[in-house]
Amino acid sequence: MKNGKHISLGIETSCDETAAAVVADGREILSNIINSQISIHTRFGGVVPEIASRRHLENINDVIGAALEEAGVTINDVDLAGVTYGPGLVGALLIGVAAAKSIAYAADIPLIGVNHMHGHIAANYLEHPELEPPFMSLVVSGGHTEIVNVPEYNRCEKIGGTRDDAAGEAFDKVARVIGLGYPGGPKVDRAAKEGDRDAIAFKRVWLEPGSYDFSFSGLKTQALNYLNSERQAGREIRVNDVAASFQEAIVEVISTKAVNAALEFGQKRIVMAGGVASNSRLRELISQKAAVHDIEVLRPSPLLCTDNGAMIASAAYYAYMAGERSGFDLDAVPALEFK
Amino acid sequence: MYILAIETTGKYGTAAVIGDDGCIYSASSETEMNHLRDIISISDEAIRKAGISKQDLTHIAASKGPGSFTGIRIGVTTARTLAQILGIPCIAVSSLEAMAERVMDAACDAGASYVVPIINARRHQVYAGIWELIRSEDSARCTLRPAGEERQYMIEELLDELKSRQQNDMQKDGVLTVYFTGDGIDAYDDIIHDALPKGSYFEAAEEIRYQHAENVAEAAYHKAECGRTVSYNELLPEYMRLAEAEQRLKAGTLSEKIKKAGGLL
Repeated sequence: MKNGKHISLGIETSCDETAAAVVADGREILSNIINSQISIHTRFGGVVPEIASRRHLENINDVIGAALEEAGVTINDVDLAGVTYGPGLVGALLIGVAAAKSIAYAADIPLIGVNHMHGHIAANYLEHPELEPPFMSLVVSGGHTEIVNVPEYNRCEKIGGTRDDAAGEAFDKVARVIGLGYPGGPKVDRAAKEGDRDAIAFKRVWLEPGSYDFSFSGLKTQALNYLNSERQAGREIRVNDVAASFQEAIVEVISTKAVNAALEFGQKRIVMAGGVASNSRLRELISQKAAVHDIEVLRPSPLLCTDNGAMIASAAYYAYMAGERSGFDLDAVPALEFK
Repeated sequence: MYILAIETTGKYGTAAVIGDDGCIYSASSETEMNHLRDIISISDEAIRKAGISKQDLTHIAASKGPGSFTGIRIGVTTARTLAQILGIPCIAVSSLEAMAERVMDAACDAGASYVVPIINARRHQVYAGIWELIRSEDSARCTLRPAGEERQYMIEELLDELKSRQQNDMQKDGVLTVYFTGDGIDAYDDIIHDALPKGSYFEAAEEIRYQHAENVAEAAYHKAECGRTVSYNELLPEYMRLAEAEQRLKAGTLSEKIKKAGGLL
């Protein structure tokens, strides 16, 4: 406790950011330290798990130290240690889990294992002080495309998800084939602004009626086929048009399904989360579609959309308030499901 | 002085506490490769057995490798973070050095000249080191002296090196025997058998063949006495091997596709 407030330490190492943060009462960010490895992995064209694990280990303790220092707290003020235990890269996750366990043990405070996806949703509690469940959530990131009903704090009911590639993964793949490079999401977003989104008729994959699931793997094949046939015909590839048309095919399906889900479940708010929530066209389109039905769309600022420790601290706080505790035998679970 | 030592570079994680009386209290994981789940409970068990509380600890030691990359990371991260939160220094111990210490008395009794721990690194590779056994005048006790770089070897290359040492020595007084330890024995027993003359080598019994925190604790105690401690953020793993992608980048064999995507071309 510090100044009468509950202090949570959140640790996140599920992919290529080594992050730690201190949050008061689950809502107020006192510090949020993110050490990104993007520049290291760029030369390999994507995240190399073994290298990510090595860098996490080298960085983790300095990141934790900086989070405490910047928050102006000592370890004695900290009331719980929250940590992402899945989903993610197993070798990356275990660095955070080992560190959090050691903190909880050495400082005699509760250990709270957090589902990374709960963390992304909780980023909105930090961004929007008035926000409380219930709401419909749309989680879109490099590893996830999910529509989740959130009836109360610390409860998530997945009503739809991707059957193959996640949206962010599809962006990465198409960015690679049109030569935009890694990380694909922001680069496609930027190129698309200069392109014509109706230039190429990429298929909208709706799946069976009423389904909230997604499938994006066919789109990548379609993009590859398009590029090959254009090259064979000797036509110049307009990268910006490909990016804009490809992006539109993805965000149109996502935003339509998210709004339909909110309508069906009677939710008046859609809360966006995950790295792809920063995609400007997705934000624009979903806001337009939601406004028609008087549904409010909320999202975290770009910094809180990326992997960070503050969102984990917030999710850990609400899990703790709901009576959850993890044992010292907490394991890293790379394919952890939403629940 | 109370040192908590952690060893998670092999199959079974272990933890041990050593105090100034030289007594060692240890605890072991009962499940293979269960390091992350068990690390705190076995550390706590060792601390309780020693009759102290975690606040009484003065140092945290870790086996820094070589060995299982995942295991190394769990042990080193735990040691670093415990030290950071408890505000005490760390001690780095080589897994190979601790393994050599583990078999020192047995190797001495067997009359061996060298102790060679070998950790299986797959595809005919081992992480290994060479220690010479220095005998006391009455030959009853031994100490260890480093006699070869700790590094990654092809098993055949290591055996050639040991053979040439044996041949050189033959010209002097005729007997030079090697005492192997470590899970490299389990992987390469046949190759060792074919390469070295019968009677010129011993293999450690299974009870003392594998990594154990007791020996990390002993080695750490000596280092602490000599002031060889580091702060938590200086405790680093010894993988003895670059990540595969880094090897390829260095060798210039990273695939063209990846280079292009990464903007290298």
